[in-house]
Amino acid sequence: MTIKVVAVMFVGLAGGLAVGSGFVAFLTVLGIIPRMTQLTKTMKMIRHYEWSVVMGALTGVAASLRDPVLGLSPYFMLPLGLVGGVFVGMLAAGLTEALNVFPVLAKRMGIDGKIIILIMAIVLGKIVGSIFQWVYFVHL
Amino acid sequence: MWGVNVLEKTIYIRMRNRVLVEPEEKIYLMDIAQVIAPETVITDLKSLMVHQVTVYDKNIIIIDVMKIIRLISDQIEDVEVQTIGPAQTIVEVILQKRKMSFPLFLLIWFLLFFGSAMAIMNFHDDVSMRSVQEKLYKIITGEEDSKPWIFQIPYSIGLGLGMILFFNHVFQKRINEEPSPLEVEMFNYQMDLDNYVIIHENKESMNRTNDD
Repeated sequence: MTIKVVAVMFVGLAGGLAVGSGFVAFLTVLGIIPRMTQLTKTMKMIRHYEWSVVMGALTGVAASLRDPVLGLSPYFMLPLGLVGGVFVGMLAAGLTEALNVFPVLAKRMGIDGKIIILIMAIVLGKIVGSIFQWVYFVHL
Repeated sequence: MWGVNVLEKTIYIRMRNRVLVEPEEKIYLMDIAQVIAPETVITDLKSLMVHQVTVYDKNIIIIDVMKIIRLISDQIEDVEVQTIGPAQTIVEVILQKRKMSFPLFLLIWFLLFFGSAMAIMNFHDDVSMRSVQEKLYKIITGEEDSKPWIFQIPYSIGLGLGMILFFNHVFQKRINEEPSPLEVEMFNYQMDLDNYVIIHENKESMNRTNDD
């Protein structure tokens, strides 16, 4: 019995370790945290940002494994949605940048100066696609 | 001085990285390099033609510093040439002003637009975001709602906002001198292209030995 418990705990710990380190590695590769500190000039606080990511991930784990009910007003969803969207948007932007999409396209088309138009295409596409999905697509 | 031949005339040369020229133009040394030289030889150097652009050059010419040194030592005697910095200059011939075709641009724009719209929908579906959002709504409000738009609409707007924030186009006026990641990426890409043409267009470095 004890061996079983220890074995299960060990497997759980190992799984969590792999997923957690993968999550952090993913964030690091896309360079979102450095980008945010660069924009806000808060390089000194980077330790706290690390902890905020860890705490956020643990809160997410708690919320998805248990099913707590807070019973708050639906308006709390509004800022939560916005912040979550910004985060996913930065993930997407980081991924696009890592794949070198814009430099190649702009160079090929000879519009080095007006690259922002290409970015706006992707940004608007994301917004429209996302709204379309939640308002219409998933309820088909 | 124990018979050592002291060369007093030293010419310092630093090749420029990238130079734009017109077709049929004559390229002079001063166009493609920064030069420091004694007064006595500087006029000779100024009139030193390095290359005549012809149609056969296409649009990229690599001028190697070895060619410059050869030309200088042919013309002027008793000089020492010191080179600093890059070993070659990339000369780009402006064949014609590249016209941007508007239909092509529109095509690419809509390609990116619909492509990214579809990509984000696939992503949401792949990570089962719908059920996560409904669960989140239940955790916070305690009620079930199959259309938690109060969460989903801000999320969608935030999605675009996050991308803009990442590329720093909210602040059009640059707050600091730091380039945005995209500018760095553009620069790196140009450097990679330059490195490629330096090796592949440079006739001096393409010396094949007969090994068959």
